[in-house]
Amino acid sequence: MASAPSKLYQDDVSLVVALLDTNPFFWAAASLPFSEFLHHVIPFINSLLLLNQLNRVVLIATGTSSCGYIFDSGDGNASGNSNAVCSGIIKKLEDFVGKDSKIGKGSNGDGTRPAISSLLSGSLSLALCYIQRIFRSGTRHPQPRILCLQGSPDGPEQYVAVMNSIFSAQRLMIPIDSCIVGAQHSAFLQQASYITGGVYLKPQQLDGLFQFLAAAFATDLHSRNFLRLPKPAGVDFRASCFCHKKTIDMGYVCSVCLSIFCKYHKKCSTCGSEFNQVAPDSTIPDQKH
Amino acid sequence: MPQVRIVARNFMDMVAALPAAKLDKLYDSSFICEAVLRSLPPLAKKYVLQMLFLDSPLTAKSMEEWVLPDGLSKHKVAIDRLLQLRVFMEVNDRKKEPSYKMNQKFQSNMQKYLTTGGTVPREPMPLNAAVRLPSVGELETYAMEQWECFLLQLINSSQVDKSTSFSSSMMRAFQRGLLNSSRDNEAPRLTENGFQFLLMETNAQLWYIIREYISSAEERGMDPTDLISFLLELSFHTLGEAYSVNTLTEVQRLAIKDLADLGLVKYLQGRKEGLFMPTKLATNLSVSLSDASSRKEGFVVVETNFRMYAYSTSRLHCEILRLFSRIEYQLPNLIVGAITKESLYNAFENGITAEQIVSFLQQNAHPRVAEKMPSVPENVTDQIRLWEADRNRVEMTPSHLYEDFPSKDLFEACCDFARDYGCLLWQDMKKMRLIVKGGLHQQMRDFLRGQR
Repeated sequence: MASAPSKLYQDDVSLVVALLDTNPFFWAAASLPFSEFLHHVIPFINSLLLLNQLNRVVLIATGTSSCGYIFDSGDGNASGNSNAVCSGIIKKLEDFVGKDSKIGKGSNGDGTRPAISSLLSGSLSLALCYIQRIFRSGTRHPQPRILCLQGSPDGPEQYVAVMNSIFSAQRLMIPIDSCIVGAQHSAFLQQASYITGGVYLKPQQLDGLFQFLAAAFATDLHSRNFLRLPKPAGVDFRASCFCHKKTIDMGYVCSVCLSIFCKYHKKCSTCGSEFNQVAPDSTIPDQKH
Repeated sequence: MPQVRIVARNFMDMVAALPAAKLDKLYDSSFICEAVLRSLPPLAKKYVLQMLFLDSPLTAKSMEEWVLPDGLSKHKVAIDRLLQLRVFMEVNDRKKEPSYKMNQKFQSNMQKYLTTGGTVPREPMPLNAAVRLPSVGELETYAMEQWECFLLQLINSSQVDKSTSFSSSMMRAFQRGLLNSSRDNEAPRLTENGFQFLLMETNAQLWYIIREYISSAEERGMDPTDLISFLLELSFHTLGEAYSVNTLTEVQRLAIKDLADLGLVKYLQGRKEGLFMPTKLATNLSVSLSDASSRKEGFVVVETNFRMYAYSTSRLHCEILRLFSRIEYQLPNLIVGAITKESLYNAFENGITAEQIVSFLQQNAHPRVAEKMPSVPENVTDQIRLWEADRNRVEMTPSHLYEDFPSKDLFEACCDFARDYGCLLWQDMKKMRLIVKGGLHQQMRDFLRGQR
């Protein structure tokens, strides 16, 4: 993937923004316990920092109702004793999950409707804002990419926001890599990796997660042109409708703003244009005169 | 284009050229393993990560499947490098297929690093109110001053205010290859390699000097392996922290004085013991091991009317610019010059190529113009190249002219004869004249005698 000509990149240096899924409903039922998962991810982050002195890694946690920054290797206090850094990460994650569940309970009353999906759109937006800040901070930047470690299923209500983030990433030429640690494929992330040219991988054995991460996700963007890396096969391009957030195959499209609806509406809810067409079940009048 | 012999990567080549036993001993230290890993080409780094936790060897064929077809040359370069540095060892199994596995010590050190994290080589001294430590900015100015003073002394001993404490034999060793005395009573002049050296970036120059320093280390009773491991360790220290000299070995203590002269560390006297503080030059050592471009701020603005403005106060920069341009004024913070035909011809006489001048200007472009594309105006770069090509307009070959042929058949036979040997340079059918390369003259005469 060619880098943007207007920004000056350094060759080998990368900035990896990793989005960790911390949805407690998913991790409670997952085959790999969360602590084991961290035991694979943290050495992977160490290995990214090892490869080049100037590499930077940022960790963002994706909760059920909020997202937050957990770790930024560009901070001055991040160097030094790595055990302290590691326990710092774990503590921040615990704090975050606690806060997130409180927010979740607050908005849903007493948590009657458990949220099964995590807020992928929120963390993608946070990642893109961080990267944009890096772009504006000086003349030479590392090459950025986003790595999503996702386990929860997709929430169709986030379709519009996720697609917007994917198109922003495409315009900024930031590849979105996905590593699925859950049971089923994620249509959103398949589309993301396909559109932005990233790597998509669903490891078959989760106890070898570090090896999969090191083999597929550790290389910098320039060397990717020479390597055979797993791409998404058979991408599910189905959209969700804007009114009920259901996944649909066939529907109605507004001719002005291209929003998708499952049922006939008189007025588009996104752009407000009115549809003067007659309802679909009446016959089309003869246009001859 | 002549091969640039002075390349920073030669330091790693020197490490790779060490005998196998010494190289394995070097890998005992995890800092050296890290530094070596960081110096590898990017594909090689990925291979190391992938093989890090594998115990059994992997065949070369299966490794080739990791790359796309147009990446095969890079793949070969990466594998060769890994074998040279003995990070990968070749294992021949019974099927006679080559397979590779990782160096044991390297592997265990790196595994430990990934799971428990890196450590610092030595603990910094606790902050002591009695000794005032210089700030990071002061350290940087100190480093640049020392380095420039050293370079000025290197190229022209008469120009410096204070000289470094290097013995004259050390300086002569550094100058070997860069300067030569053309005549005995004249000052030594810079050779072509010397000019290339000056136009290189700081990290590359630093590695060249260190390489010479280490090569001459054996004569001074220091083990080069120790020096190499100390230098690589030095780059992992934290900038701005002071470390006690008492933690160094004897060899390292001798080396610290020399490194202080080069600007890599600053030597201070603490309350009870000596302290040293690594500067940015030292901490950037491991970054510059691979071919990454330097990140220094540029200072040169070139205009389309061939005028050049360099925002710098350093005498070294002035000397470098004087090599290929005519310096007109020198103001307190600005050097104004012009790139003229005479100044460029001067530079070309001395062996500098147009490419070197253009890349020097581009790499040191001031940040205000560096964002523009191109950073140096095209008419200037094109003109520099054209002026260089001017010197190559005429090419001379010694040759012989044959004329007054008695018959056309003889003339054509001679032409064919010369053409068969690839020595025919020019022929004129009408006037029956031909020019043949000088080396063929004897055979041509024999041929003509044989024809009559």
